[in-house]
Amino acid sequence: MTDSPPADRAGGGDGSSAPGVLEPWEVFRQEKDGDPMKHGGSVMAPDSVLALHYAREMYSRRQESVHLWVVRRSDIHDLADLDLLQPPLDRSFKKPGGYVMRAKLAAARAQSGESKPKANKGAR
Amino acid sequence: MTDSAAFEPLAMDFDGAGDGGERALALLLLSMADDEFVIGFSDSEWTGIGPILEEDVAISSLAQDELGHAQALYGLLVNTVADGRDADAWAYDRPPEGYLHARLLDHHRGDWAMTIARRYLYDTADAARLEALAGSSHQPLRELVAKIRREERYHLMHVQTWIERLADAGGESRARLVAALATLAPDAGTVLAPLPGDEALVRRGIVTEAFATIEARWRDAVGATFRSLGLPTLPPTADPDHARSGHSDAFRALHAELTMVRQSEVGATW
Repeated sequence: MTDSPPADRAGGGDGSSAPGVLEPWEVFRQEKDGDPMKHGGSVMAPDSVLALHYAREMYSRRQESVHLWVVRRSDIHDLADLDLLQPPLDRSFKKPGGYVMRAKLAAARAQSGESKPKANKGAR
Repeated sequence: MTDSAAFEPLAMDFDGAGDGGERALALLLLSMADDEFVIGFSDSEWTGIGPILEEDVAISSLAQDELGHAQALYGLLVNTVADGRDADAWAYDRPPEGYLHARLLDHHRGDWAMTIARRYLYDTADAARLEALAGSSHQPLRELVAKIRREERYHLMHVQTWIERLADAGGESRARLVAALATLAPDAGTVLAPLPGDEALVRRGIVTEAFATIEARWRDAVGATFRSLGLPTLPPTADPDHARSGHSDAFRALHAELTMVRQSEVGATW
């Protein structure tokens, strides 16, 4: 009777992969409340429960984190194509600082006779 | 109920412990501190040889937590007995027969299944004991227990995760777990066996329930888990009169190791 697990127990773990097979999980951690989650490293684990336990041991046993995420590495979709991410032609016109406006503004002011407005301290 | 002869080696240890109530408190603190010290030291033997790197770090970290709990409990004992001995003296300067840990912890850590089985039985029993101390009338103990329980939550989660995986895996994993439980189960209840002065502890509100009541609640909880995993029911405690005495050769060997450095230069400042 004790030789095998009861029929209603299905192989352990969170049932998301073959039980007992180790795979890499990426760990994200928040150092303090309000900080963004940052990639910390990775752990090997057979399922999400043990991945969180191991993330806790590796990335917060000395109280370095207030929040942890683990993500199965195979669930991460990858893009590292430089033709897509770093196109070769000039892209400066796509950047918010791409156009220099100072000269145009000065010319417009001169034309209308206005002086340069002072910084509005109350607006912040 | 409890053979007082089993505690005779300790009589000399408590000359400074005052009236009966103080002595009962000292025995409680010493039993808990020794439990945490022995399982902490024993489990630390996995450092460097854990099943995988991550678990190596995890079991080592758990073992360190237990040593930290032991240090804090020995600290309370130092204040209760106040005979000049510090926490290190309590931890290291007694002969093996002077230790008051439960017989469950006399077993060698064994293979991984044995370590998980021992941790599961100990951590669940310890959690039941801590629950009965959460409202203790002894303020320093109550405050320490509140902190220890926050750390023990994770210990329980981790060992529960492991016992489920070993039991559910079938095959060799399950066979090893079943064999480990067969060895350990008759000693599992020793963690909650009544101490001399049990009645005084309850009367003074140091422990809020008798150990028999705590043990019954623990057996119900473990029984439910074991039923769901198809594991054999826990047998009654074997030889309950020697729950914390008559230590094994395995413990004597462990004791020789854990006192080795301290004894290599008696009185040195480390």
